[in-house]
Amino acid sequence: MSSTSNAPTGNNRVRIVVATSVMLTFISYWRAAAVILNDLGSSAFYAGGIAEQAIGKSAPWFVLGVMLFAFAVRAVYVESCSMFVRGGVYRVVKEALGGTLAKLSVSALMFDYILTGPVSGVSAGQYIAGLINDTISIADAHGLIPSAVHHLFHGTPQVGTNATAVVFAIAVTLYFWWENIKGIEESSEKALWVMQITTVMVVMLLGWSFFTLFKVGGHLPPFPTLANIHYSDTSLGFWKHSKLPHMFGILGLIIGFGHSVLAMSGEESLAQVYRELAHPKLKNLKRTAIVIGIYSFVFTGLVSLLAVMLIPDDVRTKVYSDNLIAGLAMHMVGPQVLRLAFRAFVVVVGFLILSGAVNTAIVGSNGVLNRVSEDGVLADWFRRPHKKYGTTYRIINLIVGLQLFTIIVSWGNIYTLGEAYAFGVVWSFVFKTISMLVLRYRYKGERNWKVPPNFHIFGVEIPIGLASVGMVLLSTAIVNLFTKSVATVSGIIFSVVFFAIFSFSERVNRRKHAHTAAQMKEQFQLQQAESVERETVGIRAGNVLVPVRDYNTLNHLKWVLERTDTHEQDVVVMTARISQFGAAAYGLSTEQMFSDYEQTLFTRAVSVAESFGKKISLLVVPARDSWSAIAQTAHNLDSSGVVTGLSSKMTTAEQAFALGSAWEAIPEPKRQFVLQIVQTDGHVDTFRIGPHTPTMKNEDVVLLHRLWLNVTREPGLENIHHHDILTEALTRFAHDYGARDRDDIVKELRRHNVVGGTLPVRRIADQIPTVQPKPVRPSHDDEPSNPEDDGSE
Amino acid sequence: MSLSVILVKILEYMFVAGWVGSAVVLVLTGIEDVGTLLDREDEHSR
Repeated sequence: MSSTSNAPTGNNRVRIVVATSVMLTFISYWRAAAVILNDLGSSAFYAGGIAEQAIGKSAPWFVLGVMLFAFAVRAVYVESCSMFVRGGVYRVVKEALGGTLAKLSVSALMFDYILTGPVSGVSAGQYIAGLINDTISIADAHGLIPSAVHHLFHGTPQVGTNATAVVFAIAVTLYFWWENIKGIEESSEKALWVMQITTVMVVMLLGWSFFTLFKVGGHLPPFPTLANIHYSDTSLGFWKHSKLPHMFGILGLIIGFGHSVLAMSGEESLAQVYRELAHPKLKNLKRTAIVIGIYSFVFTGLVSLLAVMLIPDDVRTKVYSDNLIAGLAMHMVGPQVLRLAFRAFVVVVGFLILSGAVNTAIVGSNGVLNRVSEDGVLADWFRRPHKKYGTTYRIINLIVGLQLFTIIVSWGNIYTLGEAYAFGVVWSFVFKTISMLVLRYRYKGERNWKVPPNFHIFGVEIPIGLASVGMVLLSTAIVNLFTKSVATVSGIIFSVVFFAIFSFSERVNRRKHAHTAAQMKEQFQLQQAESVERETVGIRAGNVLVPVRDYNTLNHLKWVLERTDTHEQDVVVMTARISQFGAAAYGLSTEQMFSDYEQTLFTRAVSVAESFGKKISLLVVPARDSWSAIAQTAHNLDSSGVVTGLSSKMTTAEQAFALGSAWEAIPEPKRQFVLQIVQTDGHVDTFRIGPHTPTMKNEDVVLLHRLWLNVTREPGLENIHHHDILTEALTRFAHDYGARDRDDIVKELRRHNVVGGTLPVRRIADQIPTVQPKPVRPSHDDEPSNPEDDGSE
Repeated sequence: MSLSVILVKILEYMFVAGWVGSAVVLVLTGIEDVGTLLDREDEHSR
């Protein structure tokens, strides 16, 4: 047990337990599907329009084909997740093809992630600008725009669509940049809510569209044959002057497919939510895959098809190519005002889901870069936490900087952005699928599911299904290299630059980590543990847990050490390593597990402990959020108290509430503990976490006592105790709250909460009629704490 | 036949063969998916 301390232990090294399992709160497959659809579903707003601009009116068939093929790609992800809990591109490619190709694949993935933000932001801006312009046009048609305004704008006033989209995209990106710097995470609750609203819109859209089709009729888009594919000026890229695209029918199909492939971007999120899925994980992953498959097929696929069927060609290609769903809303049967209202609803939903995708892009990029950074592929400099908020602000700044650059360079051209976007999407899938093929032969570990069908010839497995998916993706990716010149040039430049940064960082880190490892060998002894247990850390129950983050603010640790006899009570200093989607790794080497920042943090903590001559235990816990990490660690370690410093973002009450909420999420049985928050001026606020006897105000005690006195004078109730009064009162309260008087109770409580006052107990106490004492009664053991308030009047 | 034509032909064969195989994947996983959806066990995680 004592070996966990910083006291001399033979070799004078301090043992640090580094937990490798992330402390997560698990989510259902519905929530997981909502999280993924916030990214995947957003492409419905722009994919169809971009594909039609590239290959003409037959584009919806290609989008439907892509959405159908996405089911097969999803099967590849299910297989990879059945092998690795974090079966994302980087992990799988590294296992199969080694570090160099893993760095290349993650560069392509970063291109995908970083472009998700600008594409989504600009698309949302296009929808908003389109709504503003159409509303003004309709108002003008009804004579609602004064002629002076006409003169001023030389006609009907209109906002610049691309400029508005750029301004909006920049504003949204900056907003989420600040949110991510502050470390405010998006919850699966919010994702579910957004998808519920989106579903309402999708049902209305499809229902109304089919009704319109029934009323006015419509024609299916031309089938995807070479004769029906009409390439635009930019859709052939380097093959613009080549005869090849016009010679081969199937090549035309590949080109069309390649221009529609961005519709399935967001599949990588499946691998990232897998580790957070509730038990049974694999089955729930499959369910998630089915839900997102059907949803995106219906939403993205059918909406693209219906748009071509219902919106006249000239209007669709000239006005609504960048906001196809808005165009669909405006071409339903029904009154114009109703259609305009529905279009506004479409824009609101688009704003919600596309803005969410902007955030997902930042969170996802940050997660991937954190992940590779932990593998030593990105310099520790990038991972240094923000002084105030503790987030990896340098990585966030880099991502957002690149996104803003992309938005400005593209100047709101959704087609250019979408074309470039497809590069990252398709190449990350290619790397992933080829790696999975290689792993069929190289990976000997557990694999719970395989993409069917598979045959065996002379004992050698032939993965027909996996190879087939790989062939479609590889042929599409190669053709895209020729037909999407902007994507090829920008994607290659981006990937090469990122690859160079990764390679250079890795080389620097290798040298640095060799030095760090030597230093750590002298000072710390790292021990990996799958989970946080008291036995692993080697401490006694009833210990004090001290979360630390900033090595400049260790006052609360000093406060604990001043007051704790560490011979009697262990002090555990923990730091939470916040891992977002895609972050944290398996099988890291010792020097990679422990960043130089954490080393500095613990060196300071040990130095503080040494200045008091006391022992501490050190612990690193990966988690999605710090409050869950603290609550679960305190629970696992049987801690009697948690002592923390004052947060820069929250008040002490808010901190206690956040920790209490995290504690509530822990399954029973669980123990309560005390939270003490040490402020910079030395003032300490104490809270009990978990159910506990509340601190009663004197007025409450008086009221209780008066009630007790009165009740005990009733015949047959002489032996009633104070706690019986409380039980009865609470039972009645629970009954009233659960049934008839809930609104009144909530209103009353809210009123007192708002005015900051307390409930008028004294007034109520004064209204209680006094019953004259009968015979003198012996006092019970639960008399009021204040002897002056004996209730006699 | 020029090299580019041969390469395009290879890509076309890859694409078609890949789609045929992927269609089989879709059918087989689709059947499995129906089973997964109909299996009401462990629905409590919802």
